[in-house]
Amino acid sequence: MYDTVLIDTTKVANQVLSNTANEVTGYHNIWLWIAFIEFILILFLLFIRKKAESSSILKFKKEAKAGEIDFGNIINSSFHVKPLYDELKVKCHPDRFTDNAEKNQIALELFQEISKNKTNYKKLVELKELAKQKLNINF
Amino acid sequence: MLENFWNRIIDWFRDRSERSQLIRSFNDSAKNAFIIGEAPTLLKARISKGERSYRHQFSNWLNSGFRIQAFSGRQLAKNEIKQIGEVILNDNVLVRRLIVLGWDTLEIHGDQGIYGLRWQLKDYIALPQ
Repeated sequence: MYDTVLIDTTKVANQVLSNTANEVTGYHNIWLWIAFIEFILILFLLFIRKKAESSSILKFKKEAKAGEIDFGNIINSSFHVKPLYDELKVKCHPDRFTDNAEKNQIALELFQEISKNKTNYKKLVELKELAKQKLNINF
Repeated sequence: MLENFWNRIIDWFRDRSERSQLIRSFNDSAKNAFIIGEAPTLLKARISKGERSYRHQFSNWLNSGFRIQAFSGRQLAKNEIKQIGEVILNDNVLVRRLIVLGWDTLEIHGDQGIYGLRWQLKDYIALPQ
Protein backbone atom coordinates (compact mmCIF):
# COMPACT_ATOMS: atom_id res chain seq x y z
CA MET A 1 0.00 0.00 0.00
CA TYR A 2 2.81 2.43 0.93
CA ASP A 3 4.57 1.56 -2.34
CA THR A 4 1.49 2.50 -4.35
CA VAL A 5 1.11 5.80 -2.49
CA LEU A 6 4.82 6.54 -2.98
CA ILE A 7 4.66 5.80 -6.71
CA ASP A 8 1.54 8.00 -7.11
CA THR A 9 3.16 10.83 -5.15
CA THR A 10 6.31 10.64 -7.27
CA LYS A 11 4.23 10.74 -10.47
CA VAL A 12 2.25 13.75 -9.30
CA ALA A 13 5.41 15.54 -8.18
CA ASN A 14 7.05 14.88 -11.56
CA GLN A 15 4.01 16.26 -13.40
CA VAL A 16 3.93 19.39 -11.24
CA LEU A 17 7.64 19.97 -11.71
CA SER A 18 7.55 19.55 -15.47
CA ASN A 19 4.52 21.89 -15.77
CA THR A 20 6.14 24.53 -13.60
CA ALA A 21 9.39 24.30 -15.56
CA ASN A 22 7.53 24.84 -18.83
CA GLU A 23 5.66 27.82 -17.45
CA VAL A 24 8.81 29.38 -16.02
CA THR A 25 10.73 28.91 -19.28
CA GLY A 26 7.88 30.49 -21.27
CA TYR A 27 7.66 33.43 -18.83
CA HIS A 28 11.41 34.06 -19.07
CA ASN A 29 11.32 33.89 -22.84
CA ILE A 30 8.72 36.66 -23.11
CA TRP A 31 10.62 39.08 -20.87
CA LEU A 32 13.93 38.19 -22.45
CA TRP A 33 12.53 39.11 -25.86
CA ILE A 34 10.98 42.33 -24.56
CA ALA A 35 14.31 43.34 -22.99
CA PHE A 36 16.14 42.47 -26.18
CA ILE A 37 13.73 44.55 -28.33
CA GLU A 38 14.04 47.47 -25.91
CA PHE A 39 17.83 47.27 -26.09
CA ILE A 40 17.75 47.33 -29.90
CA LEU A 41 15.33 50.28 -29.78
CA ILE A 42 17.63 52.26 -27.44
CA LEU A 43 20.64 51.63 -29.65
CA PHE A 44 18.63 52.66 -32.72
CA LEU A 45 17.47 55.91 -31.07
CA LEU A 46 21.00 56.75 -29.94
CA PHE A 47 22.28 56.11 -33.44
CA ILE A 48 19.63 58.36 -35.01
CA ARG A 49 20.29 61.11 -32.47
CA LYS A 50 24.00 61.05 -33.16
CA LYS A 51 23.39 61.27 -36.91
CA ALA A 52 21.02 64.17 -36.40
CA GLU A 53 23.82 66.28 -34.91
CA SER A 54 24.91 68.27 -37.92
CA SER A 55 28.41 69.53 -38.49
CA SER A 56 27.29 73.14 -37.80
CA ILE A 57 26.22 72.16 -34.27
CA LEU A 58 29.52 70.40 -33.61
CA LYS A 59 31.42 73.40 -35.00
CA PHE A 60 29.43 75.77 -32.80
CA LYS A 61 30.17 73.64 -29.75
CA LYS A 62 33.87 73.49 -30.53
CA GLU A 63 34.13 77.25 -31.08
CA ALA A 64 32.17 78.03 -27.92
CA LYS A 65 34.51 75.93 -25.82
CA ALA A 66 37.64 77.49 -27.32
CA GLY A 67 37.17 81.09 -26.06
CA GLU A 68 38.68 82.41 -22.83
CA ILE A 69 36.35 83.90 -20.21
CA ASP A 70 37.59 86.75 -18.03
CA PHE A 71 35.56 86.29 -14.85
CA GLY A 72 37.49 89.01 -13.03
CA ASN A 73 36.38 91.54 -15.62
CA ILE A 74 32.78 90.28 -15.44
CA ILE A 75 32.68 90.70 -11.66
CA ASN A 76 34.28 94.17 -11.90
CA SER A 77 31.92 95.21 -14.67
CA SER A 78 28.89 94.15 -12.65
CA PHE A 79 29.59 96.82 -10.03
CA HIS A 80 31.76 99.53 -11.61
CA VAL A 81 30.87 99.82 -15.26
CA LYS A 82 27.85 102.10 -15.01
CA PRO A 83 29.52 105.20 -13.46
CA LEU A 84 32.47 104.85 -15.86
CA TYR A 85 30.18 104.54 -18.88
CA ASP A 86 28.10 107.55 -17.76
CA GLU A 87 31.26 109.63 -17.39
CA LEU A 88 32.73 108.57 -20.74
CA LYS A 89 29.54 109.06 -22.73
CA VAL A 90 29.32 112.67 -21.50
CA LYS A 91 32.99 113.62 -21.82
CA CYS A 92 33.62 111.90 -25.15
CA HIS A 93 30.45 112.98 -26.89
CA PRO A 94 31.21 114.24 -30.45
CA ASP A 95 29.07 117.34 -29.91
CA ARG A 96 31.74 118.67 -27.53
CA PHE A 97 34.27 118.84 -30.41
CA THR A 98 32.30 120.58 -33.13
CA ASP A 99 34.97 123.27 -33.64
CA ASN A 100 37.70 120.73 -34.54
CA ALA A 101 36.86 118.33 -37.41
CA GLU A 102 39.71 115.92 -36.66
CA LYS A 103 38.87 115.62 -32.96
CA ASN A 104 35.20 115.36 -33.82
CA GLN A 105 35.91 112.32 -36.00
CA ILE A 106 38.03 110.69 -33.27
CA ALA A 107 35.32 111.40 -30.70
CA LEU A 108 32.69 109.87 -32.99
CA GLU A 109 34.67 106.64 -33.36
CA LEU A 110 35.45 106.59 -29.67
CA PHE A 111 31.82 107.19 -28.76
CA GLN A 112 30.73 104.29 -30.97
CA GLU A 113 33.26 102.02 -29.27
CA ILE A 114 32.10 103.19 -25.84
CA SER A 115 28.47 102.44 -26.69
CA LYS A 116 29.41 99.01 -28.06
CA ASN A 117 31.34 98.11 -24.89
CA LYS A 118 29.10 99.74 -22.33
CA THR A 119 29.13 96.65 -20.08
CA ASN A 120 32.82 95.82 -20.44
CA TYR A 121 34.79 97.57 -17.69
CA LYS A 122 38.23 96.57 -18.95
CA LYS A 123 37.53 97.86 -22.44
CA LEU A 124 36.08 101.11 -21.11
CA VAL A 125 39.22 101.73 -19.03
CA GLU A 126 41.29 101.30 -22.20
CA LEU A 127 38.99 103.69 -24.07
CA LYS A 128 39.33 106.21 -21.25
CA GLU A 129 43.11 106.17 -21.65
CA LEU A 130 42.68 106.59 -25.40
CA ALA A 131 40.38 109.55 -24.85
CA LYS A 132 42.96 111.15 -22.53
CA GLN A 133 45.69 110.82 -25.16
CA LYS A 134 43.79 111.66 -28.33
CA LEU A 135 41.22 114.18 -27.12
CA ASN A 136 43.16 115.69 -24.19
CA ILE A 137 40.25 115.19 -21.82
CA ASN A 138 40.82 115.63 -18.09
CA PHE A 139 38.92 113.04 -16.10
CA MET B 1 27.68 52.86 -33.67
CA LEU B 2 29.41 51.57 -30.55
CA GLU B 3 32.10 54.20 -31.02
CA ASN B 4 29.43 56.93 -31.25
CA PHE B 5 27.84 55.64 -28.09
CA TRP B 6 31.19 55.61 -26.30
CA ASN B 7 32.02 59.15 -27.51
CA ARG B 8 28.64 60.32 -26.28
CA ILE B 9 29.36 58.95 -22.78
CA ILE B 10 32.81 60.60 -22.74
CA ASP B 11 31.32 63.92 -23.94
CA TRP B 12 28.70 63.79 -21.21
CA PHE B 13 31.32 63.34 -18.49
CA ARG B 14 33.54 66.04 -20.03
CA ASP B 15 30.62 68.50 -20.11
CA ARG B 16 29.78 67.74 -16.48
CA SER B 17 33.36 68.46 -15.51
CA GLU B 18 33.45 71.71 -17.51
CA ARG B 19 30.18 72.86 -15.93
CA SER B 20 31.62 72.39 -12.45
CA GLN B 21 34.86 74.06 -13.49
CA LEU B 22 33.02 77.12 -14.85
CA ILE B 23 31.00 77.49 -11.65
CA ARG B 24 34.15 77.12 -9.57
CA SER B 25 36.06 79.71 -11.63
CA PHE B 26 33.20 82.21 -11.35
CA ASN B 27 32.94 81.72 -7.59
CA ASP B 28 36.71 81.99 -7.08
CA SER B 29 36.86 85.26 -9.05
CA ALA B 30 33.87 86.67 -7.17
CA LYS B 31 35.38 85.67 -3.83
CA ASN B 32 38.78 87.23 -4.65
CA ALA B 33 37.16 90.45 -5.89
CA PHE B 34 35.14 90.66 -2.67
CA ILE B 35 38.15 89.95 -0.44
CA ILE B 36 40.38 92.60 -2.05
CA GLY B 37 37.52 95.10 -2.05
CA GLU B 38 36.94 95.40 -5.80
CA ALA B 39 33.39 94.12 -5.49
CA PRO B 40 31.09 95.50 -2.77
CA THR B 41 28.86 92.41 -2.92
CA LEU B 42 29.78 88.76 -2.90
CA LEU B 43 28.35 86.88 -5.88
CA LYS B 44 27.88 83.14 -5.86
CA ALA B 45 26.94 80.99 -8.83
CA ARG B 46 25.24 77.62 -8.65
CA ILE B 47 23.20 75.26 -10.77
CA SER B 48 19.44 75.52 -10.47
CA LYS B 49 16.41 73.82 -11.93
CA GLY B 50 15.90 76.36 -14.72
CA GLU B 51 12.81 77.16 -16.73
CA ARG B 52 11.54 74.40 -18.99
CA SER B 53 10.05 76.76 -21.56
CA TYR B 54 13.51 78.24 -22.25
CA ARG B 55 14.90 74.97 -23.58
CA HIS B 56 17.11 74.75 -26.70
CA GLN B 57 18.98 71.99 -28.53
CA PHE B 58 21.91 71.99 -26.08
CA SER B 59 19.79 72.09 -22.90
CA ASN B 60 20.35 69.57 -20.16
CA TRP B 61 17.53 67.24 -19.18
CA LEU B 62 17.66 68.47 -15.60
CA ASN B 63 19.17 71.47 -13.83
CA SER B 64 19.52 73.84 -16.76
CA GLY B 65 19.55 77.07 -14.74
CA PHE B 66 22.64 79.20 -13.99
CA ARG B 67 21.73 81.03 -10.80
CA ILE B 68 23.75 83.88 -9.32
CA GLN B 69 23.03 84.94 -5.79
CA ALA B 70 24.21 88.35 -4.59
CA PHE B 71 25.00 88.40 -0.88
CA SER B 72 24.34 92.07 -0.27
CA GLY B 73 22.53 91.77 3.07
CA ARG B 74 19.62 93.78 1.73
CA GLN B 75 16.96 93.49 -0.91
CA LEU B 76 18.48 94.35 -4.29
CA ALA B 77 16.78 96.90 -6.53
CA LYS B 78 15.64 95.82 -9.96
CA ASN B 79 18.24 97.98 -11.76
CA GLU B 80 21.07 96.44 -9.70
CA ILE B 81 20.01 92.94 -10.65
CA LYS B 82 19.51 94.03 -14.24
CA GLN B 83 23.01 95.51 -14.34
CA ILE B 84 24.62 92.20 -13.33
CA GLY B 85 22.46 90.34 -15.83
CA GLU B 86 23.34 92.69 -18.69
CA VAL B 87 27.05 92.36 -18.02
CA ILE B 88 26.80 88.58 -18.26
CA LEU B 89 24.48 88.56 -21.27
CA ASN B 90 26.65 91.02 -23.23
CA ASP B 91 29.66 88.74 -22.86
CA ASN B 92 29.22 86.60 -25.96
CA VAL B 93 31.94 84.13 -25.04
CA LEU B 94 30.34 83.41 -21.67
CA VAL B 95 26.82 83.10 -23.08
CA ARG B 96 28.02 80.72 -25.80
CA ARG B 97 29.84 78.62 -23.22
CA LEU B 98 26.79 78.53 -20.94
CA ILE B 99 24.61 77.41 -23.83
CA VAL B 100 26.85 74.59 -25.06
CA LEU B 101 27.31 73.33 -21.51
CA GLY B 102 23.56 72.80 -21.22
CA TRP B 103 22.30 75.92 -19.46
CA ASP B 104 19.27 77.71 -20.87
CA THR B 105 18.25 80.06 -18.03
CA LEU B 106 20.13 82.83 -16.24
CA GLU B 107 18.71 83.69 -12.83
CA ILE B 108 19.89 86.46 -10.55
CA HIS B 109 18.56 87.21 -7.09
CA GLY B 110 19.64 88.63 -3.77
CA ASP B 111 19.99 86.91 -0.40
CA GLN B 112 17.03 88.79 1.04
CA GLY B 113 13.51 89.01 -0.29
CA ILE B 114 11.97 86.93 -3.02
CA TYR B 115 12.64 89.26 -5.91
CA GLY B 116 14.82 88.09 -8.79
CA LEU B 117 15.17 88.21 -12.54
CA ARG B 118 15.35 85.45 -15.11
CA TRP B 119 16.57 85.54 -18.73
CA GLN B 120 16.33 83.14 -21.63
CA LEU B 121 19.89 82.58 -22.90
CA LYS B 122 18.96 81.63 -26.45
CA ASP B 123 17.64 85.17 -27.02
CA TYR B 124 21.15 86.56 -26.82
CA ILE B 125 22.98 84.40 -29.33
CA ALA B 126 22.18 82.91 -32.72
CA LEU B 127 22.04 79.16 -32.38
CA PRO B 128 22.79 76.78 -35.27
CA GLN B 129 19.77 75.05 -36.81
